[in-house]
Amino acid sequence: MIRIEPAAWSEMVAHAQSTYPNECCGAMLGAIDDANKSVSVALRLENAYTGERGSRYELRPEDLLRADKEARSRNLDLVGIYHSHPDCDAYFSQTDLKNSCPWYSFVVLSIRNGAFDHANSWLPDAEQTKAEREELTY
Amino acid sequence: MAKVLIPTPLRQYAGKQDSVELTGSTVGEVLSALTTQHPDLRKQLYNDEGKLRSFVNVYLNDEDIRYLQKDATPVKDTDTLSIVPSIAGGSVAAPPEPATAELTKDEILRYSRHLIMPEVGTEGQLKLKAAKVLLVGTGGLGAPLGLYLAAAGVGRIGLVDFDVVDFTNLQRQVIHGTSDVGRKKLDSAADRMHEINPFVRIDKHEVALSSENALDILRDYDIIVDGTDNFPTRYLVNDACVLLGKPNVYGSIFRFEGQATVFAYEGGPCYRCLYPEPPPPGLVPSCAEGGVLGILPGTIGLIQATETVKLTLGIGEPLVGRLLLYDALAMRFRELKLRKNPECPVCGEHPTVTKLIDYQQFCGILQPVTTEGDIDPVEVKAKIDRGDKFVLIDVREPHEYQICRIPTAKLIPLGELPKRLNELDPDIEITAHCKSGMRSAKAVDLLKKAGFRARNMKGGILAWSDKVDPTVPKY
Repeated sequence: MIRIEPAAWSEMVAHAQSTYPNECCGAMLGAIDDANKSVSVALRLENAYTGERGSRYELRPEDLLRADKEARSRNLDLVGIYHSHPDCDAYFSQTDLKNSCPWYSFVVLSIRNGAFDHANSWLPDAEQTKAEREELTY
Repeated sequence: MAKVLIPTPLRQYAGKQDSVELTGSTVGEVLSALTTQHPDLRKQLYNDEGKLRSFVNVYLNDEDIRYLQKDATPVKDTDTLSIVPSIAGGSVAAPPEPATAELTKDEILRYSRHLIMPEVGTEGQLKLKAAKVLLVGTGGLGAPLGLYLAAAGVGRIGLVDFDVVDFTNLQRQVIHGTSDVGRKKLDSAADRMHEINPFVRIDKHEVALSSENALDILRDYDIIVDGTDNFPTRYLVNDACVLLGKPNVYGSIFRFEGQATVFAYEGGPCYRCLYPEPPPPGLVPSCAEGGVLGILPGTIGLIQATETVKLTLGIGEPLVGRLLLYDALAMRFRELKLRKNPECPVCGEHPTVTKLIDYQQFCGILQPVTTEGDIDPVEVKAKIDRGDKFVLIDVREPHEYQICRIPTAKLIPLGELPKRLNELDPDIEITAHCKSGMRSAKAVDLLKKAGFRARNMKGGILAWSDKVDPTVPKY
């Protein structure tokens, strides 16, 4: 399961609402204790997708590398990635799956009409064929 | 010694270290030393063909090795290697479809009765046009749903079915006609829907929905409408909808009564909140066993269609948290309040079902009733013709016996069997039959426990009609 602490959660929601109607993306830093993850810091990253960003996002590996370094410097771990689905449910789409990585939790925030609606966390497999839903609390 | 930084989730495969010091003069050598020292890392980083997985990038200091000399990039002792996944995504599966921002002249004419209602209007009709609705099943409930949702202008309708039209369907499945008997239900339904509205895109999924394919099929749709008639599929559709966060417009029918509600919608209850466990197999008869008033699925299917359109338009009060019960004989609707169960195994606060399971097993439909000692209808006929000493009992209901019968069979409905055992001679072997062999299997079980020698006629009177006497009507 993954628990997102209030400060990190409000940052993620604020980020997702601010980029609406475009998708946002960012990194979640925190701690991992076996299967229990907690997120204490949300780090905004740039949506580097070059086309229409209303329904796509792309993370630059360099930015992710920076996030990982940031985590290490704060004695935290890079726990997962978040992104938003504007006017769309928080499912893990085929596009999400085909560009995913099994090492991290993927939190998807559904934003409807500019306001937060609901969220889910997903754990994709190594083959990029399916993602399991992970229990999410915030 | 070059340093390799290990991403957090991979540290468990690298002796819990956050970095590893390794020797090697090129990136390739360092990585090979890494996976030799920590073999468990290998399958995290490489696929079965020994290639770096598609999402794995390797950075030398701040540069991607793909833009240097790849594996052959030289490495100095002061260098740091990082393993960085590439990550992207988005809410759409494919590039966005052409904008549906306008209605054509033909569409304006076709939908004019919608357009002049302010609750729908052009904006609402465009929402319908952009909507993607999946109908699971094109039978009794799927028939009115398919007809009216196509007529209403739902832009994309997916159909899931693998059955063919047969004569017993026509009493209620009004999307299919007499000339469609023998055709795939998908083809028959799609043709009829296109005839009603050629502007609708219809996607045919000719499969039995299963735990393996359900998420992939459902994912592409906004609303799922459950028109199935069996428990395993009902639980499967429910769980898949909860996992994907999609509303499940539910309907069910039996004899003269029906139910409808919307499950898994924005914090509302799901099917498992109402029925955490399936009933024991055989307890709740299907429509094929218990019958159904042909008009009933029309009423219930159109309630589902209405809710689907309301959800799409975002108008009115959705049938969420309320189970609508319909009794055609009394001609009464009643409503039960449904609450989300915080302990629900799939949509509760601490879900234990986080992926699709084996629903046949969950519903206890793993193995058919014992087949030991079963007898084929052809053999039964031979025994009758030879004058063998045995008694044939028919455990169906009297109204079924009225439809068709095997001349020498004695009618003892399954429910009456326990108190009519005294009519049977314990010294004479009994063969039992019903419509398809399910009820007679239960009868044989009961007879054996009471000390009789009994055998079940395989496939019931339907098989008798196929193999022995085609003049016996099938129903």
